[in-house]
Amino acid sequence: MSVLTEISENLQKGKAKIVKQLVQQAIDEGIPVKQILDEGLLSGMSVIGEKFKNNEVFVPEVLVAACAMNMGAALLKPLMAQEGVEAAGKVCIGTVKGDLHDIGKNLVKMMMEGKGLEVVDLGTDVSPEAYIDAAQNQGCQVICCSALFTTTMGVMEEVVKAAETAGIRDKVKIMVGGAPVTQDFCEKIGADKYTPDAATAADAAVELCKAI
Amino acid sequence: MTQRENLMALLRRQPYEFVPTDLMLCPALEEEYHRRTGEKDLPYQDYFQLAWRRAPELIPDDTDVSRFFPYHQGRINPAVTIDEWGVGHESTPTSMHMTKMLFPLEDAQEVEEIEQYPLPTYSTTSNPQLAQKVEELHKRGLASVGNMQCTIWETSWYLRGMENLMMDMLTDEEMAAAVFDKVTEMSIQRALLYANAGVDILFLGDDIGMQNSVMMSRDMYMEWIQPRLKRLISKVKEVRPDIIVFYHSCGYIEPFIDDLIDAGIDVLNPIQSECMDFEQIYNTFHDRVLFHGTVGTQTVMPFGTPQQVKETVWHNLDIAKEGGLFVAPTHLLEPEVPWENIVAYVEACKEYSQKK
Repeated sequence: MSVLTEISENLQKGKAKIVKQLVQQAIDEGIPVKQILDEGLLSGMSVIGEKFKNNEVFVPEVLVAACAMNMGAALLKPLMAQEGVEAAGKVCIGTVKGDLHDIGKNLVKMMMEGKGLEVVDLGTDVSPEAYIDAAQNQGCQVICCSALFTTTMGVMEEVVKAAETAGIRDKVKIMVGGAPVTQDFCEKIGADKYTPDAATAADAAVELCKAI
Repeated sequence: MTQRENLMALLRRQPYEFVPTDLMLCPALEEEYHRRTGEKDLPYQDYFQLAWRRAPELIPDDTDVSRFFPYHQGRINPAVTIDEWGVGHESTPTSMHMTKMLFPLEDAQEVEEIEQYPLPTYSTTSNPQLAQKVEELHKRGLASVGNMQCTIWETSWYLRGMENLMMDMLTDEEMAAAVFDKVTEMSIQRALLYANAGVDILFLGDDIGMQNSVMMSRDMYMEWIQPRLKRLISKVKEVRPDIIVFYHSCGYIEPFIDDLIDAGIDVLNPIQSECMDFEQIYNTFHDRVLFHGTVGTQTVMPFGTPQQVKETVWHNLDIAKEGGLFVAPTHLLEPEVPWENIVAYVEACKEYSQKK
């Protein structure tokens, strides 16, 4: 079995320490960094994402896999910067103002990183202005808004309007998600994409980044 | 029949006279209740003639939460309160009645740190009035509830952090077992206090569902959580075989319903209509468990018309034609729920009783 396949398989099992060792081994063997990332770490996370979508694995398995990915990615990051390897896109994510729930948001973040995206985590209770600021000043191509409450999901519409007011609506895509959010709601407020689960959200964000 | 006799008859699958009501208002809606009705002192629970009341919250033996401060070093500020289990709650100016949780054991590395964590004990000494307060509710004709939601899984994650605890369950089993065991022992103490005080209903709960899926695999649920819940319920039913056990989990939990029934629950709450089809759930499980809730607080309660609220209540009662449904909103009613929809829910219950 190649070291990259071993990385992928150990990552899927959440064997963080082994993944770290194997990534180091791959680096030492001179395998290009981009290849280690794509065919090792991201390939493993991709399998986890598919299984999550199909209800074959659940949140705990995703967490340990993401932890393993991060351990491996930490070794690759300085080398990626040196070699100019770019992320698949850059997004910002946060739970909207008034809402402090972050479990779903964090899961989406992990899945997105697992797709090779660079994710700016704005945390919870995020004002519309803070999303716009991240898009304008940090170069995020996609804004991702999460809400658990019917009370707070209305803030997502304010984010859409704030993007229009700031004059960046045509430069940025806006994704929405969270328990009470629906496709109808997404269309009603003029957001670009609703996804029902974290893995689908990650796939959608990659597509949106490509399209911009 | 009193409210209590009526509700307990429903819960014991006996003939009952009228459709009981139950709802909970968030602080903003509670203010609206006072504005709309002009009632200054009368609690909304009395105004709406709800069927039950909560018995007093249990008082721990040690109420001094300063013993938890070392677990929150560097993050205590005026916006943070520490609860009786040592969990920090930080409010923000925009977060209404919600708080951000600060997990006291999130950095723990060793099992000993878990074992030494000073969770409180609970005893009759610190709760001398409990049985009397329960009896007072019964004398008022009201059913009594010992509210113990966040029984095992949620309290454990509030201590350890959900992500950490889930990772422990897969990669550090000793750590996970230490957290779960500690919380289960505390919850058994609390449950027995309520049971021995004579409450009609023990209301347990742990969220194990998400909107469209379960939080963890059934294997994992059966390894870590269900057996501990089962042990707690069996201890309670040893001393109070007649007690009715409610169990709450938000979200989609269909794969766990058989396991919850096996654990000994009597009533499942809230059957979130946005996540599960009540008719299908009712037809599959109603011979073994009763239901509480079913009126969606993500959909019809905030966004429906009063007529749609009524039709939902009646539709669900019609589904439960063989009984076993205590129809109610599926969650706390949040600020955006129109007052008219709240009134419509209460009226729908009354009108269904009259039709019946």
